Amino acid sequence: MWSYEKRLQFPVHITSTCPKTASLIISQFGGPDGELSASMRYLSQRYTMPCKETGGLLTDIGTEELAHLEMICAIIYQLTKNMNVEQAKACGFDAYYIDHTAGLWPTAASGVPFNSCEFQSKGDAIADLTEDLAAEQKARATYDNLIRMIDDPDVRKPLKFLRAREIVHFQRFGEALEKIKDSLDEKNFYYFNPEFDKQFVKR
Amino acid sequence: MSDRNVLLKEINEVSFFLDDLRLYLDTHPLDINALNLYQEKHEKRLELLKQYSQDFEPLTCHCINLDSNGSSAADTCYPGQKHWSWSDGPIPWDTAANNSSLLQGGV
Repeated sequence: MWSYEKRLQFPVHITSTCPKTASLIISQFGGPDGELSASMRYLSQRYTMPCKETGGLLTDIGTEELAHLEMICAIIYQLTKNMNVEQAKACGFDAYYIDHTAGLWPTAASGVPFNSCEFQSKGDAIADLTEDLAAEQKARATYDNLIRMIDDPDVRKPLKFLRAREIVHFQRFGEALEKIKDSLDEKNFYYFNPEFDKQFVKR
Repeated sequence: MSDRNVLLKEINEVSFFLDDLRLYLDTHPLDINALNLYQEKHEKRLELLKQYSQDFEPLTCHCINLDSNGSSAADTCYPGQKHWSWSDGPIPWDTAANNSSLLQGGV
């Protein structure tokens, strides 16, 4: 189970209203490489991991992604809480405003709503951990794109923190994948599913 | 009484130290230096959370202090009364809860 802590993992303090910036950052809420997708990916994959340490790592990283989701939502909230209709119109936030006003709703910057097809839970440890490594790099690349495009230092600070976390998670997933491989027959690492074809897993 | 922003900054820092170390220990469970550091920072965090709940309001439901009725009207709707303090203080996602002027480093 989870329990809530009444603070953000890293502070978000934004004073300038900017619906345009919010409409870009929202991708890290409900976009293909966003934090919702990341947390649901890891928290779904963990159940069938053949090694309990890897299931534990997925729980801990998935939990941290929920804290990142909260930071992203705090950024969007603070960027839009004082916007008026003229600003929403001028900044291309008008279509979102019609459907959600200033409410938080998971969608990609391109307008595609969040859906679970943005991640996989394959029930195969090698496939899933390899996806997780790619997911961290894709999220890092998205933060790179946002940081290149956004000038407000109040927005850049938390984005840079989040970008750095993607790199650490990539490192840890790499170690987890090595650990899974240690339990397999080195002659055919990639020949079978370590979660299902248990006869090939070393005792 | 401590300064709310300074104490929260300390809690954020020690908590982040533990968040990062937890992931490291998930893949390096026998690293003695890391284990000792975890113990040390974990104790520090509990101490700070307790202090914050005494001086202001609880940050987790594990450190709710029902006798912290000294909060000012700025922090609670029930100043001077014994009350359920879990909803006292600023909303975590609001600017008021996040003083970033204490943050170091480039942007």
